[in-house]
Amino acid sequence: MNVILSTIIWSPLLFALIAIFLPERNEEQRARVRTIALAGAGVSFFVTTFFAVLGQIGLGQGGGLASAYQENHTWFWNFVFQAHYDLVADGITLPLLVVVTTIFGCAIFHSWKVHERVRLYVVLVLLVETAVNGVLCSADFLLFAAFWGLLLVPMYLLIRIWGGDGARRAAAWFAGFQAVSLGLIIATTVIVVVEAGAQTSDMGANLTRLPVVAETVGFWLSFVAFAIAMAVFPVHTWMIEAQSKASAGVATILSGTMLLLGAYGMMRISLIVFPGPAHYYSFVITGLAVVGAFWGSIGALRQDELRRFIGYMNVAQMSLVLLAIGAQTSVALVGAVLLLAGQGFASAMLTLVSGAVEERTRTTSIRAMGGLVTQAPRLAGFYLVAAASVIGIPLLAGFTGDFMVFAGSFPEHRIATVLVMASVIVTTGGLLWVANRVFFGPVRDQFARVRDVTLLDLTVLFPLVGAVVLFGVRAGAVVPVIANGVLEITTRISGG
Amino acid sequence: MNSTHAMTLALLPEAMLVGTALISVLIAMIRPGLRPDIHRWIACIGLVGSLAACALVLLGLRHLPSGIAVSVLNGGLVIDSFAMFIAILACVTALGTCLISDSVVRSIPSRTSAFYALVLVSTAAAEAIAAEREITTLLVALAAPLICLVALGALVKTNPRGAVSSFEHLIEGGVGLAAVLYGLVLFYGITRSTNLSAVAASAGAAPGAVALGVALVVVGLCGMLGVFPLRRWVGRVAANVPAGAAGFIIATSVIGGGAALARVTVSGLGPQVGVWRWLVPIVAAIALGYSSLSSLRETTVSRLIGQLVSAQAAMLLLGLLAFTNGSRSLPAYGMTAFLGGLGITAIATLASFGVLAMLQAAGISDGIEHVRGLAHRSAPAAVLLTISVGTLAGVPPLAGFLSRVLLISSAADSHYGWLAVVAIAATALTVMAAVRLFATLYADAGDEVPFTLGATPLLSRIVAGVACVAGIVLVVLIQPLLAVATAGAGTLR
Repeated sequence: MNVILSTIIWSPLLFALIAIFLPERNEEQRARVRTIALAGAGVSFFVTTFFAVLGQIGLGQGGGLASAYQENHTWFWNFVFQAHYDLVADGITLPLLVVVTTIFGCAIFHSWKVHERVRLYVVLVLLVETAVNGVLCSADFLLFAAFWGLLLVPMYLLIRIWGGDGARRAAAWFAGFQAVSLGLIIATTVIVVVEAGAQTSDMGANLTRLPVVAETVGFWLSFVAFAIAMAVFPVHTWMIEAQSKASAGVATILSGTMLLLGAYGMMRISLIVFPGPAHYYSFVITGLAVVGAFWGSIGALRQDELRRFIGYMNVAQMSLVLLAIGAQTSVALVGAVLLLAGQGFASAMLTLVSGAVEERTRTTSIRAMGGLVTQAPRLAGFYLVAAASVIGIPLLAGFTGDFMVFAGSFPEHRIATVLVMASVIVTTGGLLWVANRVFFGPVRDQFARVRDVTLLDLTVLFPLVGAVVLFGVRAGAVVPVIANGVLEITTRISGG
Repeated sequence: MNSTHAMTLALLPEAMLVGTALISVLIAMIRPGLRPDIHRWIACIGLVGSLAACALVLLGLRHLPSGIAVSVLNGGLVIDSFAMFIAILACVTALGTCLISDSVVRSIPSRTSAFYALVLVSTAAAEAIAAEREITTLLVALAAPLICLVALGALVKTNPRGAVSSFEHLIEGGVGLAAVLYGLVLFYGITRSTNLSAVAASAGAAPGAVALGVALVVVGLCGMLGVFPLRRWVGRVAANVPAGAAGFIIATSVIGGGAALARVTVSGLGPQVGVWRWLVPIVAAIALGYSSLSSLRETTVSRLIGQLVSAQAAMLLLGLLAFTNGSRSLPAYGMTAFLGGLGITAIATLASFGVLAMLQAAGISDGIEHVRGLAHRSAPAAVLLTISVGTLAGVPPLAGFLSRVLLISSAADSHYGWLAVVAIAATALTVMAAVRLFATLYADAGDEVPFTLGATPLLSRIVAGVACVAGIVLVVLIQPLLAVATAGAGTLR
């Protein structure tokens, strides 16, 4: 019996259940709780990586629409439709699973910086990981909605409890937007299940042509639901608030995985299940990408708070992915998945570095910082690597993604592509401006005793640097895998 | 089988309960100083006996393709798979209540037998409602649980507000019952028959009177179900009656009200009387909106739970509407969703009030402010409250969420798309209300000292815990519940 995907999804939850019963009265006990949590995230990561390698080989040999692994059990059948515990990991899912399990591993490592209510913290993080892995692997609408909904409460609590000033408001924004997103996903599920006539909530079985009205309504409902999660302009405000007010570890999860899930959902559901409207309204998607790219990059320049700056950068980066989703070509979509992977790693790094900087300087203001490179050269180095990946410097994860998105989008939406490319210049300027303000320039007296990265920081950041370099250098190995997954989308869009 | 035997078999589960109640009261009269535990175990034996009687009937039903075991009084009293589903659900709820009732009966040692007798009789009445398709007996069956439940609330009162809320429950329930009475009288006037199914045949003769009758009956039964417009009693009982008893009062009323509505509308009026099929969605939409919005501004946990039960009960109305064929000319399975949802609602109500009873026993007050930082003080209590309230509110991926999706799907399948939209929005609101409570439990530190749930007996803790965990287990094992619900709905569809 193939239980690899179930292992990836449920092992964090299993270890969370173990951790919940452990005491946390002293530092030794807290370390034990963290270790158990790390084991949970670790199992998920190692199985994913091992499985991703095998999956890649399998897909390379098989080609076509085949998924590397699948688990399918009927969940219930005494109803108007059947639901299935249907898990699939295809070429799109595999790299993203590697990204999220890596980020969760880093987030658990980062929990060694958390000293209050450690048990609750790691249990909630592991619950979120279960939900994220579940969303990525679900091939049944109801299962997808259930995992999507599972994100809401733990993430809300993580933002609220461990966040700084204003975390209450940020968490409320998050919960409000996510509740709307969940409602829209339920509505999409209901429309597909009722209108497709397949009497099943299985995504694969519902790929019949829906009535035009149902398809259009379903497309817009799912699009808005995922646009919220993806922080697309103008529904991006929750992300800016959450990114700036949550603790660094939680913000890492937010920027590294939540945005990725939105984009993934848009590709997996909005494009595959509703290909007609997705193609017809591609100009709207592209228009939103253009506006979002400029809104994000220019908005970032106006920020004085480091984490809000990263939040706006995320909006700009997600607009590139949105451009690819609007273009709907194979090259652009493969680039989008690569970009999601690169953005996930880079954004997580930027968030962790900004958290480390804030922790050392006791300020969040970009203008109040300066000259940190003298005291913390390695911290500056990590920032520059992450920034270089976002900018799209060759041999880093962002480069291939950026290139393929633009190359794939240009034939379909020339003006929009050029405009979004122009926004990348602004983004680049912003990242360099922040680097200059925070790390270079004259050394300020109050930061003369700032420490450089600690062993813990290195433990958290090195896997991310490794992943950014690996995805940049060996992009060629990942592209065929992703192309297999994307083939299903392009086949559907072209009416296959 | 002759009619006497049939009647005996039909009334065996109810007879077991009423008989046990009488025995309990008699024992209390003969030996007034008997330990409260004895009465509790007598009640439990009666409930297990009733469940065994239900099992016997179900055994017989296996060989009957019609799903009807007994039909007496010209079809006015029907023991079918639907009635058995409701009977089992009512018995399980009562059994759970008896097992967690320590803290309640401890405050009324001299009236313990009365407490359990009322629990048993109201359970029997709820069982009887599900079997009624005859106007006069239905009315009697509806009045019995109302009186018993009001008496139960008044019996266990721990403060003057408890008595007031029971009185208000009586008034509101009385108004509802009066509405049902007038509606049924109108039906009788039109049909000259006390059988509900006769209304469908005469619907065309006096459409205005039928419409008025339907409106009165639906509004009255909604009061018992705990939804708009006669729903204020739910919040008052939740807030003022000790939690161990409040959970039973509300859950049994919802079970009885749901069974009555299904019998009157789906089984009695059917698709021929169209009025209820546009009236119920309007009531459902208003009730969903009102309850879910109200839940956002509640300041006590008990009232919040009451509002969430009310919202969940309103959600059940969506299943009632989808009893014919759906958009693809296939069964819409609304009744399956209805019965599955009713089961989950009853269990989650019992679980929520069970946890609340444990908190009350530990001396924790009811206000949301008072459970601030509960996770710091007692993590198990916070987790149990989270699961039970989350199930009621429809927080994913708990069983309440699943039941809501099934109800919404069946309504959408039956062309009530607009109502599905309202229900989804209402679910988002109730989820937000639950999240607000969770934030208080986990995020905010309270200044009180830690406590344990040790003040509550182990058995009560286990039963409440199992009811809470059912909210998770039923997500995985939803199929057996749906299979039973489908069998139960078979005779109604």
